[in-house]
Amino acid sequence: MKLRMVGCHHRHASVAVRERLAFNNNQAEAALVSWREAYPDTEAVLLSTCNRVELYAAAEGQHLPPCSKSLAEHLAYFHQVPIDELQPTLVTLDDDEVVHHLFRVAASLDSMVVGEPQILAQVKKSYELARGIGSTGPLTHQFFQAALRTARRVAGETPLHRHRVSIPSIAIADFASRIFERFDDKMVLVVGAGEMAEESLRYLVDAGARNLQIANRNLRRAQVLAEKWHGTPVAWDHLYERLVEADVVISTTGADQPIVTLEAYRKYVAPRRHQRPLFILDLAVPRDFEPTIGNYLETYLYSIDDLANTCNQNRQARQTALPAAEKIVSQETLNFLAEARYRTTVPVVAELQDGFRRTKQDELDRLFRKVPNLEDRDRQEIEQFADRLIAKFLHPPLESLRDISRQGSPRQLVESLRRLFQLKE
Amino acid sequence: MASGVNIFCFTACYFAAWMLELAGLTARYGWHRLVMLAFAGAGSAAQLWYLIDRARQTPAAPLATTFDWCLLAAWILAIVYLGLVFYSPGTSIGLFLLPLILLLIGAAQFASQVPLAARQASQFWGVVHGVTLLLGTVTVCLGFLSGSMYLIQSHRLRKAIPPLVSFRLPSLEWLDWVNSRALRWSALTMGAGLLSGVILTHMQHQTDPDYRLWTDPVVLSLAAMLVWLITAEIFRLVYPAARQGRKVAYLTLAAFVFLVFMLFSITVLDTVHGSKSHENEAALPRMGVSV
Repeated sequence: MKLRMVGCHHRHASVAVRERLAFNNNQAEAALVSWREAYPDTEAVLLSTCNRVELYAAAEGQHLPPCSKSLAEHLAYFHQVPIDELQPTLVTLDDDEVVHHLFRVAASLDSMVVGEPQILAQVKKSYELARGIGSTGPLTHQFFQAALRTARRVAGETPLHRHRVSIPSIAIADFASRIFERFDDKMVLVVGAGEMAEESLRYLVDAGARNLQIANRNLRRAQVLAEKWHGTPVAWDHLYERLVEADVVISTTGADQPIVTLEAYRKYVAPRRHQRPLFILDLAVPRDFEPTIGNYLETYLYSIDDLANTCNQNRQARQTALPAAEKIVSQETLNFLAEARYRTTVPVVAELQDGFRRTKQDELDRLFRKVPNLEDRDRQEIEQFADRLIAKFLHPPLESLRDISRQGSPRQLVESLRRLFQLKE
Repeated sequence: MASGVNIFCFTACYFAAWMLELAGLTARYGWHRLVMLAFAGAGSAAQLWYLIDRARQTPAAPLATTFDWCLLAAWILAIVYLGLVFYSPGTSIGLFLLPLILLLIGAAQFASQVPLAARQASQFWGVVHGVTLLLGTVTVCLGFLSGSMYLIQSHRLRKAIPPLVSFRLPSLEWLDWVNSRALRWSALTMGAGLLSGVILTHMQHQTDPDYRLWTDPVVLSLAAMLVWLITAEIFRLVYPAARQGRKVAYLTLAAFVFLVFMLFSITVLDTVHGSKSHENEAALPRMGVSV
């Protein structure tokens, strides 16, 4: 088995570098197609996310994957980035290291936010894309399937993914979903159009929200965000009216004073809501909603500080789950490598078994010729005896091959078997 | 009992399920829910068997005596519990619902086993009376349950307490839905129960000039509860702010207080509906038809 990976990720490369190397779906397709043309005997998968761009190459049998320089050049050439600029930020891994790395990546142990669940889907999507183009093969198939299996094991056997750590995800999954049973019939009002607003929108849409209204002082920005998320832009003058109708409010403006004061809420919003439950997530600093608004019945107001404690608790809980997750990754890496090494011995094993079978058959034919009066039942008994004898003879060398494969390369033992039993190269 | 199933069997099962719910607050294992379900399922099956056995022995059961009536209400709540465990797995509903089931079984221990048939005059109105009050009791219990959980969930959300794997409650929206419907159905069924009871009493005591219906503590507590439920429902319909949320929760909690008093009247006080003290009247000749 020969595996190689070249790429950059958040620990070694800045956002600026990752942005220059990032591939969208179409670009990844084009890059893999050109790869296949350049290296038809090598399998390849390209993983490109916000935090990493990694090109995995694999070769089986007599072939070797291209050298790390070729891989790096392929990445750089596609984006017309001088290779010298990239070189210091690129990471190269081979064989065992590649396996361990991808398993950690898929299990989200190498993510910027450890335990974030999106990476598993991204790894799967990258593999599916490569498979669709035809740049994968048996080795990458087994490799990526094992990575996905490892990630699922980590998710199922450790509490790593149960603890959310981003404020919007905690707010939606741990608080808003305890107020509302469903979000598809709720009105979501997003005040502000920044990054946090967008992240919150993503979680809300994932939770099923459909009626999205975006209010911003700059209506144009509201329109852009609304267009992106299939929502409705709201003019700033209609903010209070929408607050009356809203069920969920996410506020992320950069205002230096509260945009909704207690007085305004008491006067324009609260009386018309008739104590209908309202979830307000105030992500702005300084805050957009006066904190005393949260004292109103059925108004659940959360600021960043309110959720920071939960966030920290979850981070700590994830840290405690890390050793168990790393252990699973190590186990799966060892198993995968042992299996991969054992697979390299398959031709020798097959040859050995064939040789024994041929000898057995010759000897049986000779015996049956010498003793022609044997009944069918006796013949069968003798044949079974010979099969059992061969199986017992072969068992120790095959077990030794498996044991050696668990510890490292079985090449020496394979050579010894070839010489001992005079097997062909 | 001839079947070998007695009250202890299913009470112990429900109690074990409740203990497992309580233990789940500190630690939950993979088998936890399965064992809890097994106990609750075994309890409800045993209780059903017990009720069937009672019905075989007493043809008018399971509504013939206040004893059977309490057990039947407990069994319906046990079925509701099993349904909710499947509908909303992982929530701690059993923590609240199982004690109510045990409370009703406990109330049955103090209730009379003298057939109410001796006091009833019409099979039709007797059945209507028994069934509507049974459904009313169940809906008031469910209202109390959802109201309590609503207030706890709301309190935890206000204090920004993160959810725990060991203690999860349904969403406020779902609890509110159950709560408001429980209040409405309680008013309807309890109203029908009181009305049928009045008709029944009128038929039975029309020739008895000394009988005073409104001196019976059960009738009084039921009437008070009904007045409360109707007022609460009107309040809810007229005042928009009381249509959902905390206010409905408080209304259903108050309704439960009336129910507890009614159960106390049925089981402990010496009333026309029968208490332990009436058991010596079991030998009275049967009048009319059974319920």
